[in-house]
Amino acid sequence: MISKTAECPKCKTHITVQGNPGETTIVLCPNCNIKGNFTFQKEKAEIETISNHNIIEVKNLTKMFNGFKALDNVSFNVKKGEILGFVGPNGAGKTTTIKLLTNLLTPTSGHAYINNIDVNKNPTKALLSVGSLIEVPGIYDYLTPHEMLTYFGKIHRLNKNEINQKIKEVLKIVKLSEWEHKKIGSFSTGMQRRLAIAKAILHSPDILILDEPVIGLDPRGIKDVRDMLKQFKNKGVTIFLSSHLLNEVRETCDRIIFLDAGKVVTQGTIKEILNRIKIDTIEVEFLNQLTEVDIKKIENIPEINSFEKENGFFKIKFDGKPETSNTILTKLTEQGLKVVSFSTKKADLESFYVSIMNDEKGVI
Amino acid sequence: MDADRYIPGVDDFKNMYLTIKFEMLKHIKRKRILLTLILAILIPLIFFIVPPLLGQGYADTANGFAASNLGFVNLLIILSGAIFTGDSISGEFENKTGLLLFSTPQRKSSIFTGKYIASLIATWLIVSLYYLITIMEMASIYGASGISVEIAQSFLLALLYSTSVVSIVFLFSSIMKKTITSTLIGFFLLMMILPIITAVFTLAEVDPWFIVTHNADLITNVIGTGNGGGFGPGQGFNLTVFKPDLWSGISVMSAYTVILFLTGMVMADRRKME
Repeated sequence: MISKTAECPKCKTHITVQGNPGETTIVLCPNCNIKGNFTFQKEKAEIETISNHNIIEVKNLTKMFNGFKALDNVSFNVKKGEILGFVGPNGAGKTTTIKLLTNLLTPTSGHAYINNIDVNKNPTKALLSVGSLIEVPGIYDYLTPHEMLTYFGKIHRLNKNEINQKIKEVLKIVKLSEWEHKKIGSFSTGMQRRLAIAKAILHSPDILILDEPVIGLDPRGIKDVRDMLKQFKNKGVTIFLSSHLLNEVRETCDRIIFLDAGKVVTQGTIKEILNRIKIDTIEVEFLNQLTEVDIKKIENIPEINSFEKENGFFKIKFDGKPETSNTILTKLTEQGLKVVSFSTKKADLESFYVSIMNDEKGVI
Repeated sequence: MDADRYIPGVDDFKNMYLTIKFEMLKHIKRKRILLTLILAILIPLIFFIVPPLLGQGYADTANGFAASNLGFVNLLIILSGAIFTGDSISGEFENKTGLLLFSTPQRKSSIFTGKYIASLIATWLIVSLYYLITIMEMASIYGASGISVEIAQSFLLALLYSTSVVSIVFLFSSIMKKTITSTLIGFFLLMMILPIITAVFTLAEVDPWFIVTHNADLITNVIGTGNGGGFGPGQGFNLTVFKPDLWSGISVMSAYTVILFLTGMVMADRRKME
């Protein structure tokens, strides 16, 4: 029996449902009494009526700038409640994609849909449920956060009480509560960034589109944003996150799209991506300093492809098979070498990124 | 707000109204209104205070006093129009605040129209204050009977001219990359370039009826004591002076207002946050 969380289409209440894969059950929302069918699928269980559809859908999107193809026939989708990481070097087309998704640019060809509404054709409706943070926006530095956020709250038709309450809430989240009535002009870059995030989440959007949200933030700020994204995910918010920081992406995202030179290079869940990475390196630390004779002995182990010292550790290259790793460890101890630590290097996105991206591009 | 609750037209109008309020707040916060208000109070006060201090009297008639006083309203209109409108569009692109603003669920036309109207309201406010102080001065010097209907005509023409000035600067703001460029080009075009072109046409004995700054002379001409021209000839020249016709002037100023505003809207709408 598996347990899944479904969301009521009417009141957005999260309901826990239990059942077996393949089974369909009727779910009753305790809040508004609405009924819905819930099917437990092999991988994922979702309420048929609401959950299993794409919130963001990009179809064959192409953008030309004066003859330069910044985006080349890009297609992807983001499912409800998912955090999608959008990764790529500078100039890959990440921000262009985000600007097309938020109607700041018009596509040369192709379409971007949010909630099945074409952003380019009907931006006012498409962007109603979206909160966005794009590049490093300018801030109205002669205003206070309260004044600026009040305007954006009104655009989203929040009433005066809601605006005042939401402003306090979001400023607390981004740790700017004490600055609510201070001029933005006196803010540091990091504070301005946090205020821009506050603007993005002010109206409790169902979808967040974030372009490098942690740029300019200190480590504490980065952690705060990461925690905030996780909180939003738990609330069922769909997040499209562009980032250079692969660790951030790994920590927060369900799925990643790698973009390079305006094209999708590859995409998959974090697990799928990590499974694709060939782990062929073992890091070994010995108790005693190795002599020339010891090194000869190690090099003569047939399972070892290469052996070299790096940053105090010895790195052994092998064929990547777990059995071979075990054989190498056995043979090292048989040779009388005192092994302190022996570990295969963990699969990391950085290695994968470097392996698939054009070498000439800027990285990470 | 849910997508199905968005009502085109009604919500666009609400958004435009919100933009007007936001822009007015920005004008106030940036002390632009304060600066122009000070000028709108100071200039007519000089005409009221200085003559007695120098032992000189006021003009013989109330309209004469008004004409000399209102000779400076043109400068104030251009200054206000340039200050309030110069960065209305270009500022959003130059300062990248457009990344926050244009990604919100509202039509760009609502934003741009709101910005235009806010600039207009701010400029009209300054012009109105200038006239109010002038009228109060006239009442104190010549009595209430000295305030003629021509002053009201002049006021309405000043408002119309302000509108065309805002439209001109609005167009520059929607085209130019830099705020300083759109503001300065707007200001110098209206203060110097168009008056010079008017003078050249006048020297060539061609009626410059189509130049908006030439028609601005109507603001004082309707009072009956206007000079009819900006730049005068040197000694020994016989110069034909072209006085703008009231209805032709109104038409030209209206045409500048509408055509340049619409062109500005189209240009602004085509701009992208690249």
